[in-house]
Order: sequence, then C-alpha cells, then structure tokens
Amino acid sequence: MAQRALLRCENLRRSFGDRSAVEGISFSIEPGEIYGLLGPNGAGKTTIIKMVCGLLEPDAGEVSVEGRPVHSDLSVRSLIGYVPQDIALYPDLTASENLRFIARLYKLPSDVVRQRVAEVLELCELSDRANDRVDSFSGGMKRRLNIGAGLLHHPRLLVLDEPTVGVDPQSRHSILERVQEFGRSGMAVLYTTHYMEEAEHVCSRVGIIDHGRLIAEGTRRELVEQLGERDRIEMSATGNLEAFAAACRAIPGVDSVATTSDAVQVVAGEGRRMLPLLLEASEQIDVTVNTIDVTEPNLEAVFLHLTGTALRD
Amino acid sequence: MPAVLLIAGKDLRQRLRDRSAIVLGLIAPLLIAALMSFAFKGTESFHYSLGVVNDDHGAVASQLVKSLDSKASRTVLSVVALSSASVARTSVRDGHVAAALVIPAGFSTSLSAPHPESLAIVTSVNHQVEANVTRSIVGSFTAQVNADRLSVETALATGAPASSLTTLSAEAATLRIPLQSIERPIGADQLSAISYYSPAMAIFFLLFTISFASRSFFVDRAEGMIERMRAAPLGPAEILVGKALSVFVYGTLSLATVGVITSAAFGANWGSPLAACLLGLALVISVVCLTALVIGVARTQRQAEGFASLLVFGLALLGGNFIMISSSPPLMRTLALFTPNGEAMRGFSDLATIGGGLSAVARPIEAILLISVVTGGAALTLARRAVS
Repeated sequence: MAQRALLRCENLRRSFGDRSAVEGISFSIEPGEIYGLLGPNGAGKTTIIKMVCGLLEPDAGEVSVEGRPVHSDLSVRSLIGYVPQDIALYPDLTASENLRFIARLYKLPSDVVRQRVAEVLELCELSDRANDRVDSFSGGMKRRLNIGAGLLHHPRLLVLDEPTVGVDPQSRHSILERVQEFGRSGMAVLYTTHYMEEAEHVCSRVGIIDHGRLIAEGTRRELVEQLGERDRIEMSATGNLEAFAAACRAIPGVDSVATTSDAVQVVAGEGRRMLPLLLEASEQIDVTVNTIDVTEPNLEAVFLHLTGTALRD
Repeated sequence: MPAVLLIAGKDLRQRLRDRSAIVLGLIAPLLIAALMSFAFKGTESFHYSLGVVNDDHGAVASQLVKSLDSKASRTVLSVVALSSASVARTSVRDGHVAAALVIPAGFSTSLSAPHPESLAIVTSVNHQVEANVTRSIVGSFTAQVNADRLSVETALATGAPASSLTTLSAEAATLRIPLQSIERPIGADQLSAISYYSPAMAIFFLLFTISFASRSFFVDRAEGMIERMRAAPLGPAEILVGKALSVFVYGTLSLATVGVITSAAFGANWGSPLAACLLGLALVISVVCLTALVIGVARTQRQAEGFASLLVFGLALLGGNFIMISSSPPLMRTLALFTPNGEAMRGFSDLATIGGGLSAVARPIEAILLISVVTGGAALTLARRAVS
C-alpha cells in the first residue's frame, strides 16, 4: 500500500512582477524519501523552497504537510526544518546561544532545549566549540551548524536549500552522509542542488527544474532510461565553441548539444562511433579538442537532452 | 518564554555586548551634558567688574558711585575705582574690568546749567552683555536726574520764585520715578544649564536608538535571521513586537540611567520623578514608533542608515537638543512642538522651573503620544511588509 505523502505541492505558481518564477509545479515526498530538486541557478528552486516553508505566498496552488496547509496554519511550521542556502546564524553569538534561541522559537520546553542543543552540537561535531562565537568558525563549521539549527525541533520534513554551496570537499562529503542518515531515520528531505553528482548520490527521487517548470521526475534510473542507449560525450576544446556546437548538431545521430565555457557536450546514440565525425567537424572549423570523455548517460545528460542546455554554465 | 520576550531578550543581549551601546546610551550623554553645563556655567550667575573714574567728586557724582556700590548692585557688579579715563580705557581693553564709567569733572554742577556734562561709558566688544547692563544702570540714573531737572524747571515756569531753586532741587532729588517694572517669573526656579542639557543630551542619544535598531533589523534580514524566525511558527507581528520591545527597554534604561546620574552627580533638576518617568516613557514609545517607520520606509540597510541620520539630526535641531529653544526664532519654537523631543524638552524644562507633577507634563505627554499614534500607524503597515 502506498504511503501517504508527507509533503504535497499542488500546481504551485509564483511570479515576481512580469517574471514568472514557478509555473504549475506539483510533486510530493513520502516519509524517509530524499527528493532532489535539480536545476541550474535561477531555475526556481529557491522560490519553491520558500513556498514550501511558508516564507512566500504562492500566487496559486497549495502546499500541505501531513495534509495540513502550510500557508494558513502556522503550527505546521513546527513540522518543517528549514536550512537556508546562506548561513543564517548570529555571528556575534556563540554556537549554543544561536541554537538555544532557534530552539526556543519553536517553543520547546527549557529541558528539551538543553538536550536538543547538546544533541545538535554533537551531530555537528562542534561540542568543544559550543561557547565560541560563530564568527570565529570556519566556513564548513558554520555550514554544519546552519544545518543543525534546522534539526533542533525534530522536524518531519527537512528542507535543505543548496546546503553544500561554497563548502570544501571534506565538509561536503560529511553533509551528504548526514542527509542520507536523515532519510534513513524516516525524515522526509527536500534537497535542492545544481550539482548533478549530489542529486545522483543522495536523492532517492529527483525532479528536474528548468525555467520554473518541472520537466522530468523520477528515480535516477527512470530518468536516465528516458535517454535509451545514448552516450554523453564531453569534449574540452579551445576555439569557436559555438560554431563547433553548431557543426556537431548537423551530424546525423546527434540528439542534443550544449556548450560550457570550455567544453562542448553531446548526447548521441552509439557515442563512440560518433567520435571520428565530431573530430572531423572540429578540424573543419579550426577548433582544438583537448580531451574527450565518453560516459554512460547521467542526470546531466538527461538535463541536456530535455532542455538543450548544460546544467552548469 | 513567549517569542516576543525571546526576541527582545536576544536583541538586548546583542546590543549590550556592543560597546558602542554603552558609549552612546550612557557615556556620551553624560559627558556632553557635563561639558555643556560647564560651557554655560557663567550665564547662570552673571557678575562683572565695573571700573569707575570719578573726576567730579560732586554731590550727584558721589550719589551715582554710591548707588553703583550699593548692596543691590553688588549682586551684579563690583565697582573698581580707576584714576583716569585713559586708565579706564586700558583696563577695559586688557580685560581687567568688563566696562568702565567716566564721570567728568564739573558733572554735578553742570546739571543746573542748560547743557550738562555727559557721562561716558567705556565698553569692549568682548563684553557686550556687561556693556548693556552698564548702559541700562547709568540710563536709569540719568532718567532720574532728568526727571528731577524737569520737575524743578516746571516749578519755576509755573511761578515758583528763582530764589527757591536750591530748595526745589533738594526736594526733587528725594522723589523717584513712580513707574517701575517688577519681574515676576512664572517658574519658581531658574533653569540651570545642567538641568536643560541633561535631558537634551539624554534625548539626543536616545534618538540614536532609531539608527541602531533599524540598522540591526536590516543586518538581521541580510543574515537570513528574519527569514529563519519566519520559518518558525511565529507571526510577523510577534517578530516586530519583539524587536520593538528591545528598543523600548534599551531606550528606557538609557534615559533613566542618564537621569539618575545627572541628578545625583551634577545636580540636574528633572522635576517630579513620577512625571519625569511618564514623560520619558512617552518619548521612548515615540522612538519605537519612529524606528518602525524607518524600517518600514527603507528597503536596504544603507537607506535605513540614511533615513535614520536625517531623522535624528532633524529632530535634534528642531526640538532644541543643541540650543535652548527659548533663544530660537519664533518659527523654530513652533516647529519644536511638532517633534516628540521638542515636546519632551518643553516638559522637562517646565518640570525643572515651574515644578508641579503630572499636570505639568500632561500636555507634552498627550502631544508625544499623538505623534506616536500617527507615526506608529504608518509604521505598522510598512514594517509588516519589511518582515514579510
């Protein structure tokens, strides 16, 4: 029997002036599920997150957690743990002062506050720095504490908005492990990222967002299967890459092409057989191909296939 | 703990950890009030040295010197006898005396002649007030002498025999001009500089709370803390009231501390404690409303700082925090009554001079609360938008 969705977003729409940021997004997350919203910067991920957390009123549609509407029932926010993209902590307060303040915002009793603050400090591996001011912390420590602050009230739904931006690889690894643990503990997690690797590694289900629309949704396998027997070819190159991309598009069998600042990405059936044709095209327009990487399709290839653009600039 | 108290407590803790809060809320108002008081100290107990050159030694000249050296005159001036007009000029120029009076030889006898000798007053631009006081005293004396002369001339013109001139002159000298002005101030006490500048500076630095609190709000917003609070089960009103409460408590503490210290250490007269407290509380409420208005109007931290600076210095200039409003032009005195600090200054001045209790400050309190209602109403709508 299917579990009842913990978070349900139905036909969310939101505009800022004439610019439409989110256009009719619907998705749901079940307990224990880590749902990734994958999309480039400006795709509308943060707007969706803010509507989910009750920080932004949707123009249309509804968000509910455990069947209760987020925007008309203030108490629902106790079920949601919000971890904003930027560090949201008082730099002039200590780690424990920050956590105590945030825990009390959720109206937890004093003895519970003490216990939860100690728990979170332990989880963030900051117990020995509890009484140090946050402005003396490294970026990674602040990031961990920022995530911990969202867990103080034991939320049923944890919302993480790009929690690994600007984080060193070691801290990133630690954060991703923690997120997986939250999922295993039965917490529903909504995770936004523009890092394809993170979405593939952490999320049990992924929604791909572009220009405010949910263009695909499913498990990694389901999404990649949309591409069939295709390969992703990434060629780092120097020269007129736009002209090279146009030349690649003209080759029969090439499905989609996108450029980044120093590479051209191609999705094509039987990619290895395409290589001589692609190299010939590069020679004709005087583009030097430095490296070629042929991989099995991944979420980035899915994004390229669906949108015709690369996930990252 | 209610969220409102939680937010206010956290804001206060942060504010008091910031050394500038102690400097601006306590040290600066005390220091500047003391400096202002010191600077204006001489204006409360006016007294100067008047050089007198008596080259006449006649009866009228002696009477003039005697009146200048009388007990009543000694509260304002001290007579310093000088030997000649040139010595008088040197003494005034060198500042040994603030002004000098020269009674020329033959002055007394010349009073019965058609063209009497003139008294000369030696003055300096550095002592204008003393020069005016000397002119006034000598003018009063010459008015009396002229009245005597006029009465004698009138008696002779209406048929009194010329032989009675000496008798008439003696009788006229005993008469006094009947019309005299008597000063009856409405305040029982004089307003000392420290009693004016203690509340003036306490209020001026209280106004800085507008700048600090509005900036702190935008810093909180930029750091994502307003958003984090809003993600918790709190309404925007709880966040706003919590922030306002911290401004209220800090403002009240600052005003009360400066009041207590200036009263105890410098002898400032704040009037009835209850009335002063209520007036102070009304003023702090208006500061809270003005802070909310700045937060509501500004879009960024920089804008908030700009608006707050304009507001603080504008109010301080209009309300009489820098200069005694009584010595300002009539327009400024009127404009002061449209500012909460101007009304408060008027209330504190009345308490220090007229005295009285709540009745003395009822009108300023009403006016301040009215200003608070107007600014607070506008702020409520705008500041909710800022939180949202």
